[in-house]
Amino acid sequence: MALSKEVYKEFECVVGEENICDDPAIMPAYYNNKFAAVILPGNTAEVQAVVKLCNKHKLVFRPICTGWSGMFPPDIILLDLRRMNHIIEINEKNMYAVVEPYVISSQLQAELFKRGLNFCIKGAGTNCTAMLRGHGHMDQTTSGDDRNHLAIEWITPEGDIVRSGALGSSDEWFCGDGPGPSIRSILTSAVPPGVTPGVFTKAAVKLYHWPGPSAYPIEGVSPNYALSEIPPNMMARYYSFPSVEKMWQAELAIGESEISFELMGFNISMVAANITTSNEEEEETFNRLSKEVIGPGFFVIIAGNSAADFAYKKKVLEKIVSEADGKSLKAAEDPRIEGILMCQCTRISASIRETFRNGGAFNSIPIMGQRDLTIKWAIGAGKAKEPLIEKGYIVDDGGAFFGWGVEQGHLGKTEIFCKFDPQNAEAKAAVEAWQKQENLRAFKERYFASTMGPQDEIGPALCNYNQWWSKLVKALDPNGVSPEGGALV
Amino acid sequence: MGLEQYKGDMEMCCRCSACKFIPMQRVKGNQYAYACPSISRYNFHAYSGGGRLNIGAAMLKDGMKYTDKLLDIVYNCQLCGACGVSCNYAMDMEVLEPISEFRIKCVEDGKTNPALDKVIANLRKQGSMVIGARGKRGAWAAGLNIKDATKEKVDVLYHVGCLTSYDKNMQKMAKATVKILQKAGINFGIAGDAETCCGGRAYQMGYTKDFLNQAKKNMAMIKKSGAKTVVTSCADGYQAFKVLYDRFNLKGDLKVLHISEYIDKLIRDGKLKPRKKVDMAVTYHDPCRLGRLGEPWVHWEGKKIPGDRFVFDPPKPYRRGTNGVYEPPRDVLKSIPGVKLTEMTRIKEYSWCCGAGGGVNDSNPEFAKWTAQDRIEEAISTGAEALVTACPWCEKNFTEAIKDSGSNLKVYDIVELVEKAI
Repeated sequence: MALSKEVYKEFECVVGEENICDDPAIMPAYYNNKFAAVILPGNTAEVQAVVKLCNKHKLVFRPICTGWSGMFPPDIILLDLRRMNHIIEINEKNMYAVVEPYVISSQLQAELFKRGLNFCIKGAGTNCTAMLRGHGHMDQTTSGDDRNHLAIEWITPEGDIVRSGALGSSDEWFCGDGPGPSIRSILTSAVPPGVTPGVFTKAAVKLYHWPGPSAYPIEGVSPNYALSEIPPNMMARYYSFPSVEKMWQAELAIGESEISFELMGFNISMVAANITTSNEEEEETFNRLSKEVIGPGFFVIIAGNSAADFAYKKKVLEKIVSEADGKSLKAAEDPRIEGILMCQCTRISASIRETFRNGGAFNSIPIMGQRDLTIKWAIGAGKAKEPLIEKGYIVDDGGAFFGWGVEQGHLGKTEIFCKFDPQNAEAKAAVEAWQKQENLRAFKERYFASTMGPQDEIGPALCNYNQWWSKLVKALDPNGVSPEGGALV
Repeated sequence: MGLEQYKGDMEMCCRCSACKFIPMQRVKGNQYAYACPSISRYNFHAYSGGGRLNIGAAMLKDGMKYTDKLLDIVYNCQLCGACGVSCNYAMDMEVLEPISEFRIKCVEDGKTNPALDKVIANLRKQGSMVIGARGKRGAWAAGLNIKDATKEKVDVLYHVGCLTSYDKNMQKMAKATVKILQKAGINFGIAGDAETCCGGRAYQMGYTKDFLNQAKKNMAMIKKSGAKTVVTSCADGYQAFKVLYDRFNLKGDLKVLHISEYIDKLIRDGKLKPRKKVDMAVTYHDPCRLGRLGEPWVHWEGKKIPGDRFVFDPPKPYRRGTNGVYEPPRDVLKSIPGVKLTEMTRIKEYSWCCGAGGGVNDSNPEFAKWTAQDRIEEAISTGAEALVTACPWCEKNFTEAIKDSGSNLKVYDIVELVEKAI
C-alpha cells in the first residue's frame, strides 16, 4: 500500500528528503516485501514524531538495527535506525555505557577495552547492536539478558517518551528500576509471543572489568588474522569429556570456583567453524577434530588480574578437568589457534562463520534454564537431527548442541542449530518440522516452555501469560500500529 | 552468464551488515569502523554491499525493474571491494563480482549514467579517460630522453596512464618515475603518443566492451614492442593489466608490476639507494586497486555440489583481498631516511576508498569528495603532515578535497618521495 503524497510529505518534514524512501528498488535490500516506506530517523525526537504520525494515519511500523533477523509484513513503515549510531556516554566510574541503537557491539567493546572494561556481547555477533538483549559467550563474567540493561529510553507505540529507572527522575542512567519508574517487565525483547512494541532509542548497558589487553595484537591479512602473542595472564583451551555427566561436573565446578572468564560449551563443529577460513577447510577440520575429542566439551578462557591470579586459576582449572577425566584438544593448544579462538570468542567476531557460512541459513532452538535439564533435552534434539543429516538436508555437526553457564552458576543457555540451504525447500521444511517437534517435546516432557513453542498450549500451563501479554500490548498500542517492536535486534 | 552466475552468491547474503564495517576484529573504536563509503553516505541498506546483493537476487528472479533510485544506488558505489573483504572474513561467497555485473547489466540495458557516458565517449574518441584533455599524450616526456618502446627494444614498458599523461598537476609523477628508473639504470621506454587507456576504469563504470577494446589494443602494442614487463604508476592501470587482462585471458606471460613493487625490488637488488633525508611524518593510503583488488586473478570453473553447503567441485578459491600489494609501498617508505610512517586505523585490505573509484569522481563529484574528506580526517588523526598514496586518481581526489576543506595536509605519490631521496 503506497503512502499518499500528503502523508509521505508529513514524514518527510520530520526526517528530511534524504531520509525517507518509498521507491520499490530499495525494498528487496531489506526484505522481500514492499513496504509503505523506509524511514531513517536521526534522533529520539524524530522517532517520536514518526511514531505519532503512524498513529495518526494508522500505519503499522517496525524498527530495525543491523537487520539480519526478523520477518517483515508487507506495507509497513520500516524504521531503519542506522543514523542513530552514537555512543552517548561511557561512564567508567559507575560502569555503564549509554548507546543508540546502531552502535554495534564491536565499536563499543573496542572503546571499553581501552578503558579496562567490557560488556556482554550477544551470541548473535559483534556486528549486531550493542543494545541487543540476550546471552553470549562471556556470560560467566558479563551475565546476560535483563541484568545488563540499566535505564532505557523508550518510545511507546503511541509516541510517548518513557525514561525508565534513574533516568525517569534525573539525568542519570545508572539504574533501570528506580528511583524513577521501573518498567522492566515490559521492556524486554524476549517475552513471547512477541517483542516489546515501540522503539528503544537509547539504553544504558552495564559494564564489567576486563582483565585483558587494551587491544588484541592482531597480525595478518583477512581472513588469516592471528595474535602475534597470547596476552599475558590469559589462556584459552578446549576440553572434551568422556560423557555429558562428566562435562557437566566440570562446568559446574569451574563455575563454583569462579575461575573462568569465559566458558562456552562449543561443540567441536563450532570450534572448526571458528578456526577455519572456508567451508572446505571447516569440513576437513571438523572430521579431524571429531576423531581427537573423547566426547562433549567446552571452550574456556581464563584471565588473571596478575601472574599469581592467573597461576591460581590455571591450577584450579587443570585440577577440575583432570578430576572429570577431561582431555585438552591439542589443536587448540597451538598458540596460533589459541589466539584465534581467544580473540574471536571475546570479540564475538565469528558468529557468522558458525551460523551462515555453510549453507546460508540456520534454524535454532535456544533455551535459558537449568543447564543439566536443558542438556538432557538437547541430547534428544540432537538425536532427532540425525535423519536430517543422513538425508543431506542439514550440515553434519555430529548432531551436537552447545551452551554455557551464566554468572558461574547452574543456570545457563543451551542451544541447538540446524544449518541448511534455504533454497532447498525440502531441507527447509524438514528443519522447520524438527524445530516444531522438538519444541513440543520440550514442553510435553516438561523440560521447558520454548518461546517458539505452541503458545496456545504453553500459555495455559504458565498462568496464561500470553493472554496477559496480549492485553498489555493492546493497552500500550490501542491503534495496533506496533504489533512487533524489535529495536533491540 | 553475467549476473546469473552469481545467483547462489547473492542468495547467500544473510543481511548481517558485516559488509558495512571493517572486519570486526579490526574495529578499534567508535571512529573509523565503517568500510563502505556508499552506505556511510546514503544510509539506506540498499547502498550497502549486502543490500546490493539482495536487490540483485530479487531482480534476477523478478526481472530488472529500473527506477531512478535504482540507478542512483548502482552508480553511487566506488566498487572499492571493501564490502567483499569484510564479508569474506566469514562467508564463502562473491560480493564485488555480482555488484559489478549488476552495473554491467544496467549499461547493457542502456541504463547508463550521463556523466559516465561522456567519459566513455571521450575514451572512444581519444583513448583517454580524461575529459577535455588537450595535446599529445606523450608531450610530458619531451626532453627527458626516454626510449620510444614502439620503436626501440626495451626490457620494461612504463605505462604512464591517462591522468598522469594529461593532467598537468600529475605529470610530475611521470617525471619522477622516469628519473627513478633512469637512476637505477633500467632499460625502459614508454609508448608516448601511441599509449592508450588501459580500460580499467571503463570496466569499473560497466562498459565491458570498451574495456576489452582497450585491453586488446594495449596487448597488441605490447606484443609488438617485445617488452616482457609492464610497470604502471596508476593503481587502476595495475589492476587492469594484472587482474582484468588475466581474467579475460589477454595477459599471457606479461609481467605486471606497480611502480611501488618495482622500486622495492630495485632497492632490494641494490640498484636504487634512497640516501637523501626526507624529514616528513607521513601516513600511507592503500589504493583499492593496488591493495585488496590488486590480488591476482584466480581462474576457476566448477559446479556447486548439491546438498547442504555452498561448496563447489573443484573447491572455489575466493579472492578475499589477502594477496594484495600491501608491504612493498610501506617498505619503500621505510627505506627513505627521515620518513616517519604512522598507520591510519583502516589500512591494507580494509582500507577506506579515496572516493574516485567506479567513476564516482565523474558521476557524483560531491560524493567522491565526501569520501575523500573522511580519509583526510583519518590521516590527520595520525599526526602526519602528508598523506602518501600510489595512484594519481587518489592523489587528485584527495588534493581537491583538501583544497575545499582548507586543511594543511599535503598529498604525495610515493614516487615523489623516492625522487626526493635519490
